[in-house]
Amino acid sequence: MLCINSIFKLFKRPLYIDDVIEQMEYAGSSSVFIISLVCLFVGMALSLQLSAELGRLGLKMYTGKVVGIAVIREIGPLVTALVFIGRVGAGQTAEIGSMILGHQIDTLRVYGIDPVKKVVIPRVIASVLMLPCLTIIGDLICLFGGYYIAVFVSNQSGSFYWSSIIRELDFQNVFSGVIKPFIFGYLISCISCFYGLTTHGGAKGLRTSTTKAVVTSIVVVIAMDFILTRILLYALGFSV
Amino acid sequence: MIVFDNVWFSYGEREVLKGVSFSAKFDERVALLGESGGGKTTILKLILGLIKPDRGRIFIDGVDITELSEEELIPIRRKFSIVFQEGALFDSLPVKENVAFFMRELLKIPDDEIYSRVSELLRLVGVQGSEELMPEQLSGGMHRRVAIARALSVGKTKMFLYDEPTAGLDPINSQRIISLIEDLANREKIGFMIITHVVYVAWQLCNRFIFVEDGNLVFDGNKDELISTEIPAVKDFIKELFFKVQ
Repeated sequence: MLCINSIFKLFKRPLYIDDVIEQMEYAGSSSVFIISLVCLFVGMALSLQLSAELGRLGLKMYTGKVVGIAVIREIGPLVTALVFIGRVGAGQTAEIGSMILGHQIDTLRVYGIDPVKKVVIPRVIASVLMLPCLTIIGDLICLFGGYYIAVFVSNQSGSFYWSSIIRELDFQNVFSGVIKPFIFGYLISCISCFYGLTTHGGAKGLRTSTTKAVVTSIVVVIAMDFILTRILLYALGFSV
Repeated sequence: MIVFDNVWFSYGEREVLKGVSFSAKFDERVALLGESGGGKTTILKLILGLIKPDRGRIFIDGVDITELSEEELIPIRRKFSIVFQEGALFDSLPVKENVAFFMRELLKIPDDEIYSRVSELLRLVGVQGSEELMPEQLSGGMHRRVAIARALSVGKTKMFLYDEPTAGLDPINSQRIISLIEDLANREKIGFMIITHVVYVAWQLCNRFIFVEDGNLVFDGNKDELISTEIPAVKDFIKELFFKVQ
Protein backbone atom coordinates (compact mmCIF):
# COMPACT_ATOMS: atom_id res chain seq x y z
CA MET A 1 0.00 0.00 0.00
CA LEU A 2 2.81 2.40 0.89
CA CYS A 3 4.52 1.71 -2.46
CA ILE A 4 1.32 2.55 -4.35
CA ASN A 5 0.47 5.47 -2.08
CA SER A 6 3.90 7.04 -2.57
CA ILE A 7 3.49 6.92 -6.36
CA PHE A 8 0.00 8.49 -6.24
CA LYS A 9 1.15 11.29 -3.96
CA LEU A 10 4.41 11.92 -5.81
CA PHE A 11 3.26 14.94 -7.80
CA LYS A 12 0.59 16.20 -5.40
CA ARG A 13 1.43 19.54 -3.76
CA PRO A 14 3.24 20.46 -1.57
CA LEU A 15 6.38 18.95 -3.08
CA TYR A 16 8.85 19.42 -0.18
CA ILE A 17 11.81 20.06 -2.50
CA ASP A 18 14.09 21.04 0.42
CA ASP A 19 13.41 17.71 2.12
CA VAL A 20 14.18 15.86 -1.11
CA ILE A 21 17.51 17.69 -1.45
CA GLU A 22 18.38 17.00 2.19
CA GLN A 23 17.62 13.30 1.73
CA MET A 24 19.58 13.17 -1.54
CA GLU A 25 22.59 14.55 0.29
CA TYR A 26 22.20 11.92 3.03
CA ALA A 27 21.53 9.03 0.64
CA GLY A 28 23.93 10.12 -2.08
CA SER A 29 27.07 12.08 -1.33
CA SER A 30 27.36 10.72 2.22
CA SER A 31 27.32 7.15 0.86
CA VAL A 32 29.99 7.59 -1.83
CA PHE A 33 32.96 6.71 0.37
CA ILE A 34 31.58 3.47 1.83
CA ILE A 35 30.24 2.29 -1.53
CA SER A 36 33.56 3.08 -3.21
CA LEU A 37 35.46 1.20 -0.54
CA VAL A 38 33.28 -1.91 -0.77
CA CYS A 39 33.25 -1.87 -4.58
CA LEU A 40 37.02 -1.48 -4.74
CA PHE A 41 37.55 -4.68 -2.76
CA VAL A 42 34.80 -6.55 -4.61
CA GLY A 43 36.39 -5.57 -7.95
CA MET A 44 39.83 -6.68 -6.78
CA ALA A 45 38.54 -10.00 -5.41
CA LEU A 46 36.59 -10.67 -8.61
CA SER A 47 39.60 -9.90 -10.77
CA LEU A 48 41.83 -12.14 -8.64
CA GLN A 49 39.44 -15.09 -8.89
CA LEU A 50 38.92 -14.66 -12.62
CA SER A 51 42.63 -14.20 -13.35
CA ALA A 52 43.41 -17.40 -11.48
CA GLU A 53 40.67 -19.43 -13.11
CA LEU A 54 41.01 -18.03 -16.62
CA GLY A 55 44.82 -18.36 -16.36
CA ARG A 56 44.41 -22.12 -15.87
CA LEU A 57 42.43 -22.23 -19.11
CA GLY A 58 44.91 -19.97 -20.91
CA LEU A 59 42.27 -17.25 -21.23
CA LYS A 60 43.71 -14.68 -18.81
CA MET A 61 43.37 -11.89 -21.38
CA TYR A 62 39.58 -12.17 -21.05
CA THR A 63 39.68 -11.03 -17.42
CA GLY A 64 38.69 -7.47 -18.39
CA LYS A 65 35.79 -8.65 -20.53
CA VAL A 66 34.36 -10.95 -17.86
CA VAL A 67 34.94 -8.43 -15.05
CA GLY A 68 33.26 -5.76 -17.18
CA ILE A 69 30.17 -7.81 -17.96
CA ALA A 70 29.82 -9.12 -14.40
CA VAL A 71 30.28 -5.71 -12.80
CA ILE A 72 28.12 -3.65 -15.16
CA ARG A 73 25.25 -6.09 -15.45
CA GLU A 74 25.15 -7.75 -12.07
CA ILE A 75 27.72 -7.21 -9.33
CA GLY A 76 27.85 -3.40 -9.41
CA PRO A 77 24.08 -2.83 -9.02
CA LEU A 78 23.72 -5.63 -6.47
CA VAL A 79 26.67 -4.76 -4.24
CA THR A 80 25.79 -1.07 -4.31
CA ALA A 81 22.18 -1.88 -3.41
CA LEU A 82 23.25 -4.10 -0.51
CA VAL A 83 25.55 -1.41 0.91
CA PHE A 84 22.76 1.13 0.35
CA ILE A 85 20.39 -1.05 2.40
CA GLY A 86 22.83 -1.14 5.31
CA ARG A 87 23.65 2.53 5.23
CA VAL A 88 20.58 4.36 3.93
CA GLY A 89 17.67 1.92 4.31
CA ALA A 90 18.50 1.08 7.93
CA GLY A 91 18.94 4.78 8.63
CA GLN A 92 15.56 5.60 7.13
CA THR A 93 13.83 2.94 9.25
CA ALA A 94 15.59 4.03 12.44
CA GLU A 95 14.88 7.71 11.81
CA ILE A 96 11.19 7.27 10.99
CA GLY A 97 10.80 4.71 13.79
CA SER A 98 12.18 7.12 16.34
CA MET A 99 9.87 9.82 14.94
CA ILE A 100 6.97 7.43 15.56
CA LEU A 101 8.09 6.63 19.10
CA GLY A 102 8.71 10.30 19.86
CA HIS A 103 5.22 11.25 18.56
CA GLN A 104 6.75 13.46 15.86
CA ILE A 105 4.73 11.70 13.16
CA ASP A 106 1.58 12.08 15.28
CA THR A 107 2.39 15.79 15.62
CA LEU A 108 2.56 16.11 11.82
CA ARG A 109 -0.78 14.35 11.46
CA VAL A 110 -2.41 16.53 14.12
CA TYR A 111 -1.51 19.63 12.12
CA GLY A 112 -2.79 18.13 8.88
CA ILE A 113 0.60 17.35 7.32
CA ASP A 114 0.59 14.02 5.53
CA PRO A 115 3.55 11.98 6.85
CA VAL A 116 3.72 10.03 3.57
CA LYS A 117 4.19 13.30 1.63
CA LYS A 118 6.49 14.94 4.14
CA VAL A 119 8.56 12.00 5.35
CA VAL A 120 8.24 9.04 2.97
CA ILE A 121 8.18 10.58 -0.51
CA PRO A 122 11.35 12.70 -0.14
CA ARG A 123 13.19 9.55 0.96
CA VAL A 124 11.77 7.48 -1.90
CA ILE A 125 12.67 10.14 -4.49
CA ALA A 126 16.16 10.54 -3.03
CA SER A 127 16.75 6.77 -3.10
CA VAL A 128 15.42 6.35 -6.65
CA LEU A 129 17.63 9.18 -7.92
CA MET A 130 20.77 8.53 -5.92
CA LEU A 131 21.12 4.74 -6.10
CA PRO A 132 21.69 4.76 -9.90
CA CYS A 133 24.33 7.49 -9.46
CA LEU A 134 26.01 5.52 -6.70
CA THR A 135 25.85 2.39 -8.85
CA ILE A 136 27.70 4.12 -11.70
CA ILE A 137 30.36 5.29 -9.25
CA GLY A 138 30.48 1.80 -7.68
CA ASP A 139 30.83 0.18 -11.13
CA LEU A 140 33.76 2.44 -12.01
CA ILE A 141 35.53 1.80 -8.71
CA CYS A 142 34.91 -1.94 -9.10
CA LEU A 143 36.45 -1.84 -12.58
CA PHE A 144 39.45 0.10 -11.24
CA GLY A 145 39.88 -2.51 -8.51
CA GLY A 146 39.83 -5.18 -11.20
CA TYR A 147 42.29 -3.18 -13.29
CA TYR A 148 44.75 -2.92 -10.41
CA ILE A 149 44.79 -6.68 -9.89
CA ALA A 150 44.84 -7.50 -13.61
CA VAL A 151 47.76 -5.16 -14.34
CA PHE A 152 49.86 -5.11 -11.18
CA VAL A 153 49.27 -8.60 -9.80
CA SER A 154 48.33 -10.69 -12.81
CA ASN A 155 50.67 -8.81 -15.19
CA GLN A 156 48.12 -8.26 -17.93
CA SER A 157 47.98 -5.38 -20.36
CA GLY A 158 46.12 -2.38 -18.96
CA SER A 159 45.10 -1.04 -22.35
CA PHE A 160 43.73 -4.44 -23.37
CA TYR A 161 41.82 -4.65 -20.06
CA TRP A 162 40.13 -1.30 -20.70
CA SER A 163 39.51 -1.86 -24.39
CA SER A 164 37.81 -5.18 -23.67
CA ILE A 165 35.62 -3.46 -21.07
CA ILE A 166 34.76 -0.59 -23.45
CA ARG A 167 33.71 -3.13 -26.05
CA GLU A 168 31.17 -4.45 -23.53
CA LEU A 169 29.63 -1.01 -22.98
CA ASP A 170 26.85 -1.58 -25.49
CA PHE A 171 23.21 -0.62 -24.98
CA GLN A 172 22.13 -4.04 -23.68
CA ASN A 173 24.75 -4.24 -20.94
CA VAL A 174 24.52 -0.62 -19.85
CA PHE A 175 20.72 -0.62 -19.90
CA SER A 176 20.45 -3.82 -17.84
CA GLY A 177 22.91 -2.39 -15.29
CA VAL A 178 21.29 1.03 -15.03
CA ILE A 179 17.62 0.06 -14.88
CA LYS A 180 18.06 -2.16 -11.82
CA PRO A 181 19.17 0.54 -9.33
CA PHE A 182 16.05 2.63 -10.04
CA ILE A 183 13.86 -0.31 -9.04
CA PHE A 184 16.11 -1.32 -6.13
CA GLY A 185 16.13 2.24 -4.79
CA TYR A 186 12.35 2.42 -4.89
CA LEU A 187 11.90 -0.95 -3.18
CA ILE A 188 14.54 -0.35 -0.50
CA SER A 189 13.08 3.00 0.44
CA CYS A 190 9.47 1.80 0.49
CA ILE A 191 10.37 -1.21 2.65
CA SER A 192 12.49 0.88 5.02
CA CYS A 193 9.86 3.59 5.40
CA PHE A 194 7.12 1.00 5.90
CA TYR A 195 8.97 -0.68 8.78
CA GLY A 196 9.81 2.74 10.22
CA LEU A 197 6.17 3.80 10.18
CA THR A 198 4.99 0.56 11.78
CA THR A 199 7.49 0.74 14.65
CA HIS A 200 6.05 0.22 18.12
CA GLY A 201 7.31 -0.97 21.47
CA GLY A 202 10.17 1.38 22.38
CA ALA A 203 13.87 0.72 21.79
CA LYS A 204 13.29 -3.01 21.37
CA GLY A 205 10.60 -2.32 18.76
CA LEU A 206 12.96 0.02 16.92
CA ARG A 207 15.63 -2.68 16.85
CA THR A 208 13.11 -5.20 15.50
CA SER A 209 11.86 -2.79 12.81
CA THR A 210 15.36 -1.95 11.64
CA THR A 211 16.38 -5.60 11.50
CA LYS A 212 13.21 -6.55 9.62
CA ALA A 213 13.69 -3.68 7.17
CA VAL A 214 17.27 -4.71 6.40
CA VAL A 215 16.52 -8.43 6.10
CA THR A 216 13.40 -7.88 3.98
CA SER A 217 15.21 -5.40 1.73
CA ILE A 218 18.11 -7.80 1.15
CA VAL A 219 15.81 -10.69 0.28
CA VAL A 220 13.57 -8.56 -1.94
CA VAL A 221 16.50 -6.94 -3.76
CA ILE A 222 18.21 -10.27 -4.46
CA ALA A 223 14.96 -11.88 -5.60
CA MET A 224 14.12 -8.83 -7.74
CA ASP A 225 17.62 -8.94 -9.21
CA PHE A 226 16.99 -12.47 -10.41
CA ILE A 227 13.58 -11.58 -11.83
CA LEU A 228 14.90 -8.47 -13.58
CA THR A 229 17.88 -10.36 -14.96
CA ARG A 230 15.55 -12.99 -16.39
CA ILE A 231 13.26 -10.36 -17.93
CA LEU A 232 16.10 -8.20 -19.27
CA LEU A 233 17.95 -11.11 -20.83
CA TYR A 234 14.75 -12.13 -22.57
CA ALA A 235 13.78 -8.58 -23.58
CA LEU A 236 17.24 -7.65 -24.83
CA GLY A 237 17.51 -10.76 -26.93
CA PHE A 238 20.14 -12.76 -25.05
CA SER A 239 19.80 -16.52 -25.30
CA VAL A 240 20.41 -18.55 -22.15
CA MET B 1 -17.51 19.23 23.30
CA ILE B 2 -15.83 15.83 23.45
CA VAL B 3 -18.11 12.80 23.83
CA PHE B 4 -16.92 9.22 24.28
CA ASP B 5 -19.72 6.71 23.90
CA ASN B 6 -18.86 3.17 25.01
CA VAL B 7 -15.40 3.22 23.42
CA TRP B 8 -13.36 0.03 23.23
CA PHE B 9 -9.79 -0.15 22.02
CA SER B 10 -7.10 -2.80 22.00
CA TYR B 11 -3.49 -3.08 20.90
CA GLY B 12 -3.44 -6.57 19.45
CA GLU B 13 -4.59 -8.96 22.17
CA ARG B 14 -4.32 -6.37 24.95
CA GLU B 15 -7.54 -4.49 25.67
CA VAL B 16 -6.63 -0.94 26.61
CA LEU B 17 -10.08 0.65 26.85
CA LYS B 18 -13.16 -1.33 27.85
CA GLY B 19 -16.32 0.62 27.13
CA VAL B 20 -15.23 4.10 28.23
CA SER B 21 -17.94 6.79 28.19
CA PHE B 22 -17.59 10.43 29.22
CA SER B 23 -18.12 13.93 27.90
CA ALA B 24 -16.10 17.10 28.42
CA LYS B 25 -16.72 20.69 27.39
CA PHE B 26 -13.92 22.61 25.68
CA ASP B 27 -13.76 25.18 28.48
CA GLU B 28 -13.36 22.59 31.24
CA ARG B 29 -10.10 21.83 33.01
CA VAL B 30 -10.04 18.05 33.02
CA ALA B 31 -7.41 15.71 34.42
CA LEU B 32 -7.19 12.18 33.08
CA LEU B 33 -5.61 10.21 35.88
CA GLY B 34 -4.41 6.68 36.16
CA GLU B 35 -1.37 4.48 36.34
CA SER B 36 1.08 4.31 33.43
CA GLY B 37 -0.20 1.97 30.72
CA GLY B 38 -3.79 2.40 31.88
CA GLY B 39 -5.07 3.86 28.59
CA LYS B 40 -4.82 7.62 29.21
CA THR B 41 -2.68 8.46 26.17
CA THR B 42 -4.89 6.18 24.09
CA ILE B 43 -7.87 8.39 25.01
CA LEU B 44 -5.96 11.45 23.85
CA LYS B 45 -5.04 9.79 20.56
CA LEU B 46 -8.66 8.77 20.06
CA ILE B 47 -9.81 12.36 20.63
CA LEU B 48 -7.49 13.48 17.83
CA GLY B 49 -8.48 10.62 15.54
CA LEU B 50 -4.90 9.35 15.43
CA ILE B 51 -6.25 5.87 16.14
CA LYS B 52 -9.71 4.41 15.56
CA PRO B 53 -11.74 2.70 18.28
CA ASP B 54 -12.60 -0.98 17.89
CA ARG B 55 -16.13 -0.26 19.05
CA GLY B 56 -18.13 2.75 20.22
CA ARG B 57 -18.39 6.33 18.98
CA ILE B 58 -16.44 9.54 19.56
CA PHE B 59 -18.04 12.91 18.89
CA ILE B 60 -16.15 16.21 18.69
CA ASP B 61 -18.45 19.24 18.57
CA GLY B 62 -21.27 16.91 17.55
CA VAL B 63 -19.33 15.32 14.67
CA ASP B 64 -18.84 11.57 14.81
CA ILE B 65 -15.11 11.24 14.07
CA THR B 66 -14.90 7.46 14.21
CA GLU B 67 -15.23 6.92 10.48
CA LEU B 68 -13.63 10.12 9.20
CA SER B 69 -10.69 10.05 6.79
CA GLU B 70 -7.36 11.80 7.50
CA GLU B 71 -8.43 14.79 5.39
CA GLU B 72 -11.83 15.03 7.07
CA LEU B 73 -10.10 14.94 10.46
CA ILE B 74 -7.96 18.04 9.77
CA PRO B 75 -10.61 20.60 10.90
CA ILE B 76 -11.40 18.43 13.93
CA ARG B 77 -7.73 18.29 14.96
CA ARG B 78 -7.36 22.06 14.49
CA LYS B 79 -9.72 22.51 17.42
CA PHE B 80 -6.95 21.29 19.72
CA SER B 81 -3.42 22.30 20.63
CA ILE B 82 -1.50 19.23 21.63
CA VAL B 83 1.69 18.87 23.62
CA PHE B 84 2.86 15.28 23.51
CA GLN B 85 4.87 13.59 26.21
CA GLU B 86 8.48 14.86 26.15
CA GLY B 87 7.52 17.53 23.64
CA ALA B 88 7.91 15.63 20.34
CA LEU B 89 10.21 18.30 18.95
CA PHE B 90 11.88 17.60 15.60
CA ASP B 91 15.42 16.49 16.49
CA SER B 92 17.02 17.79 13.32
CA LEU B 93 15.71 21.35 13.65
CA PRO B 94 16.81 24.12 16.02
CA VAL B 95 14.31 25.58 18.45
CA LYS B 96 13.29 28.48 16.21
CA GLU B 97 12.64 26.16 13.26
CA ASN B 98 10.65 23.80 15.47
CA VAL B 99 8.38 26.64 16.53
CA ALA B 100 8.28 28.04 12.99
CA PHE B 101 7.59 24.64 11.44
CA PHE B 102 3.80 24.65 11.33
CA MET B 103 3.58 28.38 10.59
CA ARG B 104 5.78 27.79 7.56
CA GLU B 105 3.85 24.68 6.49
CA LEU B 106 0.33 25.86 7.12
CA LEU B 107 0.11 29.65 7.32
CA LYS B 108 2.36 30.53 4.37
CA ILE B 109 3.47 33.86 5.84
CA PRO B 110 6.77 35.68 5.17
CA ASP B 111 9.88 34.59 7.08
CA ASP B 112 10.22 37.95 8.86
CA GLU B 113 6.76 37.59 10.32
CA ILE B 114 7.37 33.95 11.23
CA TYR B 115 10.55 34.73 13.17
CA SER B 116 8.98 37.69 14.89
CA ARG B 117 6.14 35.41 16.06
CA VAL B 118 8.66 32.74 17.09
CA SER B 119 10.49 35.24 19.32
CA GLU B 120 7.18 36.39 20.78
CA LEU B 121 6.07 32.81 21.55
CA LEU B 122 9.42 31.85 23.06
CA ARG B 123 9.26 34.92 25.28
CA LEU B 124 5.71 33.98 26.28
CA VAL B 125 6.79 30.52 27.45
CA GLY B 126 9.98 31.83 29.05
CA VAL B 127 12.68 30.36 26.81
CA GLN B 128 13.74 33.47 24.91
CA GLY B 129 17.34 33.34 23.70
CA SER B 130 17.20 29.61 22.92
CA GLU B 131 16.35 30.10 19.23
CA GLU B 132 19.52 28.56 17.87
CA LEU B 133 19.75 25.63 20.29
CA MET B 134 19.07 22.09 19.10
CA PRO B 135 16.47 20.01 21.00
CA GLU B 136 19.16 17.78 22.55
CA GLN B 137 20.73 20.89 24.09
CA LEU B 138 17.54 21.76 25.98
CA SER B 139 16.69 20.71 29.52
CA GLY B 140 13.48 18.72 30.07
CA GLY B 141 11.59 21.83 31.20
CA MET B 142 12.77 23.90 28.23
CA HIS B 143 11.81 21.05 25.91
CA ARG B 144 8.18 21.16 27.15
CA ARG B 145 8.11 24.95 26.97
CA VAL B 146 9.28 24.97 23.37
CA ALA B 147 6.68 22.29 22.60
CA ILE B 148 4.01 24.50 24.15
CA ALA B 149 5.25 27.46 22.07
CA ARG B 150 4.98 25.31 18.95
CA ALA B 151 1.46 24.21 19.92
CA LEU B 152 0.50 27.89 20.18
CA SER B 153 2.10 28.81 16.87
CA VAL B 154 -0.79 28.03 14.55
CA GLY B 155 -3.33 30.25 16.24
CA LYS B 156 -6.24 29.97 18.61
CA THR B 157 -7.74 26.57 19.29
CA LYS B 158 -10.60 25.40 21.45
CA MET B 159 -8.76 23.22 23.91
CA PHE B 160 -5.22 22.34 24.99
CA LEU B 161 -4.29 18.70 25.36
CA TYR B 162 -1.24 17.90 27.48
CA ASP B 163 0.23 14.41 27.69
CA GLU B 164 2.24 14.05 30.90
CA PRO B 165 3.56 17.62 30.76
CA THR B 166 5.64 17.29 33.93
CA ALA B 167 6.90 13.72 33.48
CA GLY B 168 10.61 13.46 34.28
CA LEU B 169 10.92 17.05 35.49
CA ASP B 170 12.29 18.20 38.83
CA PRO B 171 9.83 19.93 41.23
CA ILE B 172 10.94 23.44 40.23
CA ASN B 173 10.53 22.84 36.51
CA SER B 174 7.26 21.00 37.13
CA GLN B 175 5.94 24.01 38.98
CA ARG B 176 7.02 26.31 36.12
CA ILE B 177 5.16 24.15 33.61
CA ILE B 178 2.07 24.07 35.85
CA SER B 179 2.11 27.88 36.08
CA LEU B 180 2.57 28.17 32.33
CA ILE B 181 -0.35 25.84 31.60
CA GLU B 182 -2.58 27.81 33.96
CA ASP B 183 -1.47 31.20 32.59
CA LEU B 184 -2.08 30.11 29.02
CA ALA B 185 -5.54 28.77 29.81
CA ASN B 186 -6.43 32.05 31.55
CA ARG B 187 -4.91 34.16 28.79
CA GLU B 188 -6.56 32.26 25.92
CA LYS B 189 -9.76 31.67 27.93
CA ILE B 190 -9.96 28.01 26.88
CA GLY B 191 -9.92 24.77 28.79
CA PHE B 192 -7.51 21.89 28.74
CA MET B 193 -7.29 18.18 29.26
CA ILE B 194 -4.17 17.03 31.03
CA ILE B 195 -3.00 13.46 31.18
CA THR B 196 -0.89 12.72 34.19
CA HIS B 197 -0.13 10.13 36.80
CA VAL B 198 1.00 12.86 39.21
CA VAL B 199 -2.17 13.67 41.11
CA TYR B 200 -0.69 16.80 42.70
CA VAL B 201 -0.20 18.37 39.25
CA ALA B 202 -3.81 17.60 38.37
CA TRP B 203 -5.03 18.97 41.70
CA GLN B 204 -3.32 22.30 41.13
CA LEU B 205 -4.62 22.75 37.60
CA CYS B 206 -7.98 21.03 37.20
CA ASN B 207 -11.48 21.09 38.57
CA ARG B 208 -12.63 17.81 37.09
CA PHE B 209 -10.91 14.44 37.48
CA ILE B 210 -11.41 11.29 35.44
CA PHE B 211 -9.70 8.17 36.69
CA VAL B 212 -8.94 5.31 34.32
CA GLU B 213 -7.94 1.97 35.72
CA ASP B 214 -7.24 -1.11 33.63
CA GLY B 215 -9.18 0.32 30.68
CA ASN B 216 -12.26 1.23 32.71
CA LEU B 217 -13.40 4.68 33.75
CA VAL B 218 -13.80 4.20 37.50
CA PHE B 219 -14.16 7.78 38.70
CA ASP B 220 -15.41 11.08 37.27
CA GLY B 221 -15.88 13.98 39.64
CA ASN B 222 -14.74 17.30 41.10
CA LYS B 223 -12.19 18.04 43.85
CA ASP B 224 -14.58 17.37 46.72
CA GLU B 225 -15.70 14.08 45.24
CA LEU B 226 -12.07 13.09 44.59
CA ILE B 227 -10.90 13.51 48.17
CA SER B 228 -13.98 11.83 49.61
CA THR B 229 -14.07 8.89 47.18
CA GLU B 230 -14.27 5.36 48.55
CA ILE B 231 -13.02 3.70 45.35
CA PRO B 232 -9.91 1.79 46.52
CA ALA B 233 -7.84 2.35 43.35
CA VAL B 234 -8.50 6.09 43.42
CA LYS B 235 -7.91 6.31 47.17
CA ASP B 236 -4.53 4.63 46.75
CA PHE B 237 -3.69 6.94 43.90
CA ILE B 238 -4.45 10.18 45.76
CA LYS B 239 -2.44 9.27 48.87
CA GLU B 240 0.37 11.36 47.35
CA LEU B 241 -1.96 14.34 47.38
CA PHE B 242 -2.63 14.14 51.12
CA PHE B 243 1.10 13.83 51.75
CA LYS B 244 1.82 16.97 49.68
CA VAL B 245 -1.03 18.94 51.30
CA GLN B 246 0.20 18.07 54.80
